[in-house]
Amino acid sequence: MVLLFFVLLSGSVQAASLGERFERTLGGSAVPEILKQYGGEHVLPIGQRMWVEEIFRRLVEVTEREDVDYTLTILNSSELNAFALPGGYVFITRGLISAIGRDEAELAAVLGHEITHIERKHGVNAVLRQMGLAVLLEVGVMTLDLASADLLRVASATLLQLVSLGWGREAEYEADLSGQALAVKAGFDGVGAVSLLDDVFTVGSEDLPMKIFRTHPDTRIRRDRLEAALVSFWSTPVVVEDRDVVERLNASRNSKQARRNDPGGRYVVIVPDEGAGLHVFDQQVRQYVTWFENTKVHDFAWSPQGQYIALIVNEGSQRQLWIGDRWGKKTKSVGLSGQAITEMSWSPQGNQLAILVDGPMGSEVMVTYLEADVLLQVGGDFTGESSIWLDTGLYFAHGDMWYHTSAPKVSPVTIRNPVPQVLQRQRILSPTVIKEGNTIRLTRPSLTIP
Amino acid sequence: MAKFKLGSSIILVVLITLSVVGACQAFVFTDPTGLYSTTIWDQWVYQAHHSTAQITVFYGEGNYDLLYFESLGTVADDSVDLLAERSIELYGDPGGLESFQLETPLKTMDVAGQSGLSCVYTYEDARGNTLWEYRVFLLLPGNQGFSIALSSDKPWVRENPPLLEDILANWRWLL
Repeated sequence: MVLLFFVLLSGSVQAASLGERFERTLGGSAVPEILKQYGGEHVLPIGQRMWVEEIFRRLVEVTEREDVDYTLTILNSSELNAFALPGGYVFITRGLISAIGRDEAELAAVLGHEITHIERKHGVNAVLRQMGLAVLLEVGVMTLDLASADLLRVASATLLQLVSLGWGREAEYEADLSGQALAVKAGFDGVGAVSLLDDVFTVGSEDLPMKIFRTHPDTRIRRDRLEAALVSFWSTPVVVEDRDVVERLNASRNSKQARRNDPGGRYVVIVPDEGAGLHVFDQQVRQYVTWFENTKVHDFAWSPQGQYIALIVNEGSQRQLWIGDRWGKKTKSVGLSGQAITEMSWSPQGNQLAILVDGPMGSEVMVTYLEADVLLQVGGDFTGESSIWLDTGLYFAHGDMWYHTSAPKVSPVTIRNPVPQVLQRQRILSPTVIKEGNTIRLTRPSLTIP
Repeated sequence: MAKFKLGSSIILVVLITLSVVGACQAFVFTDPTGLYSTTIWDQWVYQAHHSTAQITVFYGEGNYDLLYFESLGTVADDSVDLLAERSIELYGDPGGLESFQLETPLKTMDVAGQSGLSCVYTYEDARGNTLWEYRVFLLLPGNQGFSIALSSDKPWVRENPPLLEDILANWRWLL
């Protein structure tokens, strides 16, 4: 019996090792054709290359498979595409990198998705399935010569066929969610996966070439699943027992009132009696202006850095959340059908807002993101009466207790071994267009000496 | 005629004097993060729009005249030689600078007590213009990389220009 166990174990270990070698050989055999199809390898400028490589390195560092040697290749194609081959080969086009810009959470989402395909062996399994060999490999049948040239040639051709079609609907869903989790584990914001699809929706309407989305399942379903998964990264709310923290929270709650002065030092908000719009005094031009005219503003809050102002406005019978830029232009609104938003508070980084939303059982504690249209119920089963955001996370009052919850830490990308940048002078100084009420002002770039 | 000549000469002398005085006027620039201070000639204008906590940018009078100081943060190189050599290698590699050419070899120099390396190189911008750049590499305590760069489309940056001499002579580390 023991002998049989060891024989089986030895067989499965050998099969695993054989499978890994097969994966690498299979993936490697398709690389030249992929490079040919996508215009060869593209070399990014130094700074951008280091940035992409650092994001990739952080993701690879938290992968589980130790037998895979991951490599990233930038393809010289304007197509918006990324894919992975078995054995650790990840590809992304310069077109997709360009479309993503400098959003590290979005790039981490793409690369995390592709790495997951390799981690979960989606590619190799799809090829073997297609060839009817998956079962043989699973049970460790050793008579199959996985290293034979004939088998490899057929498998490679199958792989090239499949790579343009995707690895299957379920594999894509799994790569979405596990890739998002991988990105979060590597210190990136999981919302990048959602905003990537949102941005792509916008770009998609311009009919740009985006094969990645033709080969993938319905984007709306994927986006909604990714949004729903975001809340799972938040910690379960727990009672705050530290008395010092509770005292601090109670003091903040009692003295809570909107800060009228813009943190940027330019505007002072004056709330009108009638509640029509937001009256603001512009200290720079010494004039009163009205933002969000004909709007009943219930409450307002400047973002910590003063780049945005959040408002709770009465819209019909609803109370909605509006976000405006620091010139008083509405950039976003959040409304829930039949539910009123009663309170809001900015995260210290100014990229999220906690809101209290009236529900049948009391106010639900929710979080929305500045850069993405997501709404997460982070309070779990608890309702909240007040919310305060500190550096350590989000706190909300429930009865006499304070509860604490937080999202995973997001670490900005820092290049591990940078070299000095080579700058070139911008020949045209573009003016900044500032719209203030009915007037438009052009400013020269600031030339003041600090 | 003699009067005219004398008058012209006086005007010329006044103009030359004014231009010399103007050229020498400078202001003290202190890095907003409190790392260094130096003097910059008045003709060089600070570019708040292009500057960040890591990079400070000035534009000169010529269309391509550019001066910038950069704090790199922590680098893995154990010496300034390694930092400089690695940087130059990357500038010359694919994805680096177009038509990169090292015009003067690396030479040691001192910037307010910190030893560094300097060199001059040329490369082509996207429009095909040849740009000259004088580059100083420094490795501050704690393996903090730092760089000073002066560039133009003219080769004057190669000849230890007085502007750079003034900047380096008045350089003070504030930490």
